[in-house]
Amino acid sequence: MADLGRAALVTAFLLLVYALVAGSLAAWQKRRRLAESAQNALLAAFGATLIASAVLLAALARHDFSFQYVADHTSHELPLGYTLTAFWGGQEGSLLLWLLVLTGYSVAAVLTGRRAGREVLAWVVPTLGLVGTFFAMLLVFVASPFATQAAAADGAGLNPSLQNPYMAIHPPMLYLGYVGLTVPFAFAMGALLARRTDERWIVATRRWTLAAWAFLGVGQLLGAHWAYVEIGWGGFYAWDPVENAALMPWLAATAFLHSVMIQEKRGMLKVWNVLLVVLAFCLSIFGTFLTRSGIIQSIHSFTQSSIGPWFLGFICLITAASLALIFVRLPLLRSKTRLESLVSREATFLYNNLLLVALALTILWGVVYPILSQAVTGEAATVSKPYYNFFLHTFGLPLLLLMGIGPLVAWRRASLRALGRTFLWPLGAAVIAGIALLAAGAGSSRIGVVAYTFSVFVLASIALEFARGTAARKALGGVGWGGAFSSLVARNRRRYGGYVVHASVVLLAIGVTGASAYQTVHEARLKPGQSMSVAGDRLVFRGYETKTESNHRAIRALVDVYRGNDYLGRYKPGKNQYFAEDQVSNEVSIRHDWLTGGDLFLIADQVNANGSIDLKALQKPLVNLLWLAGIVFIGGSLIALWPDAREARRLAERYADGVVRI
Amino acid sequence: MARRGSPARLIVALSVAAVLAVFLLYTSIAGGGTPSLRPSQLTGHTGRVSLMGQVVGKPTGDAHGAGLRFQLRDVKGHTTVPVIYKGSVPDLFRTGRDVVVDGHLRNGAFVAVPGTLVTKCPSKYSPKT
Repeated sequence: MADLGRAALVTAFLLLVYALVAGSLAAWQKRRRLAESAQNALLAAFGATLIASAVLLAALARHDFSFQYVADHTSHELPLGYTLTAFWGGQEGSLLLWLLVLTGYSVAAVLTGRRAGREVLAWVVPTLGLVGTFFAMLLVFVASPFATQAAAADGAGLNPSLQNPYMAIHPPMLYLGYVGLTVPFAFAMGALLARRTDERWIVATRRWTLAAWAFLGVGQLLGAHWAYVEIGWGGFYAWDPVENAALMPWLAATAFLHSVMIQEKRGMLKVWNVLLVVLAFCLSIFGTFLTRSGIIQSIHSFTQSSIGPWFLGFICLITAASLALIFVRLPLLRSKTRLESLVSREATFLYNNLLLVALALTILWGVVYPILSQAVTGEAATVSKPYYNFFLHTFGLPLLLLMGIGPLVAWRRASLRALGRTFLWPLGAAVIAGIALLAAGAGSSRIGVVAYTFSVFVLASIALEFARGTAARKALGGVGWGGAFSSLVARNRRRYGGYVVHASVVLLAIGVTGASAYQTVHEARLKPGQSMSVAGDRLVFRGYETKTESNHRAIRALVDVYRGNDYLGRYKPGKNQYFAEDQVSNEVSIRHDWLTGGDLFLIADQVNANGSIDLKALQKPLVNLLWLAGIVFIGGSLIALWPDAREARRLAERYADGVVRI
Repeated sequence: MARRGSPARLIVALSVAAVLAVFLLYTSIAGGGTPSLRPSQLTGHTGRVSLMGQVVGKPTGDAHGAGLRFQLRDVKGHTTVPVIYKGSVPDLFRTGRDVVVDGHLRNGAFVAVPGTLVTKCPSKYSPKT
């Protein structure tokens, strides 16, 4: 079996090398038959990788401990579900998943990417081949998932913190996002190599970028939720390098999604767009490198291994090659139009891009700071939360504001008087909200008030956009409000899907602000019968209950929660002591208040021998909007992604003659 | 093009300058981050540092009372330093684990900032012996 897996990987490697070499030759010499053969090799590489993955999955399912990978990451007691998800629980399996997703995406991208033009596609194949070759090479020569050993009696098992339903979905989501950014990168490089620098590569990869970006966003929110309900320190994001590793490419991709619209509409920012797509792709490889190399201290330390230098070399190669290519093609990337006014839709997009990229780069600086300071002063230093929070406020708040301004500003040139009229309602709503917030005592956090006022402004401007659009469509006649609304969204999926995503970002901002700026924390040592209060709730500790399960002993503190004279219920934060792993895990108890969106978060910080408890209680207002934001985000992304027959026809007409009109 | 300098370029240049200014201002005010050290590198540092090491010996005391006391040793070395810590103790904290904690060196002992103790996940689950 292991031989079959190894053979499949070697085959995939050779096919990808062929796709790279033959594909380059074919595109160079414009040999059509050879280009088709390279393309077929890319498709076949997906098949070979699929076989390799099936072998590993089968070995996991059969508990075949003669596979080193299976023995290292699973055990007999491990439930089947987690045994299968151990596919991506370790390094070799994760790399195999990378290659599987990459070749899968390649097949779909090549088959659907004809709109980019044959010359571009001919160069896309070797670019995808190059990235694939790198990962296949690692899997064949450096970190094989099919290494064998004398079969062990039992495996080492999976870390208890990974035995969690989120384990099944969070890593694959992130991978779908990370790897997905390869597709727009390959098409951008293809367009440059083929000297086809019009916006066709952008149109061809628009959905790919959007999908990869949506997966990356959802993957991160799932990770945050996992941390919140399972890890149990009361937060959801800690600016850890591994978390930042996923955030940076997402920010770069967000900037890219916005700036490509300007290139499509106005033919500007061509150099900027290719730079952004290179940045997003390099950051996604860098993220994989961070999580896989152990070069930077992180609370998530994955298997440290020898693949670090390979990744570093690959990142350098990709960055140098793509920058050189962009430089050589600069004359072809001249804009046909110029920015006409600093107050226009284009300009707000440009500001948004600069802020997003600035945020991504300052985070990158923070992540690599230990390495740089080590190199310069010989002593590693780290930057922590205050650094990141400072830049999140400096760049994030203006971004939030721009989200409300951008959609209301006209293309090309907006008159200030028209702007005043447009902004009357959102601005009024924001001012009223600001005053109301101050009156309600939200002034305890200045940043909180600013964030909430901006949020109201953005939500009002989004509502205004929907209302104006619906009214205009209804004025065309023949439909009611409902019909007008649905046809408005259906006819402009990208625009209104985008607004829904904006609304989700606002919800996210409200949730994050509530949970951080307005959080109340209280800690106390309580004997049975004693009580403490946190933000108006009274918590009475009643004692412990202990239960013994098959693999752990569960100790639970019984905490009764009262608000005024109302009894709100009994909550049971505690600890589990796992016998086999000899490990303790915190089991938090969360009271969701569905009406206000806040949480009461209870942690049994220390269970004392004399029967007392060190109880930590966090009151987190509005934090549930964060998770609601995730659902709205998925909804908005789906609206924007949904295939649009009308748009497809329009594009087909536009590019039918192969001449691009801008 | 009649005029060479386009406003887009001006905006880009100005924004980059603004970002750099904010950045320099921040790094000069906030200082360049917390030094990240091993116990053997501690001598001579009086400011706040981030200490990384392996827990050796049996931790004693009460983290929510007078303070938890334990020894940290270089992960690859022999130098140890006593640590006094108050606040939440992570689940994975115990003898043999690698931890990171912020604090100051005072009279040969490392006084930790409350609530800064983090354990590093064991990189791989070691087989049962």
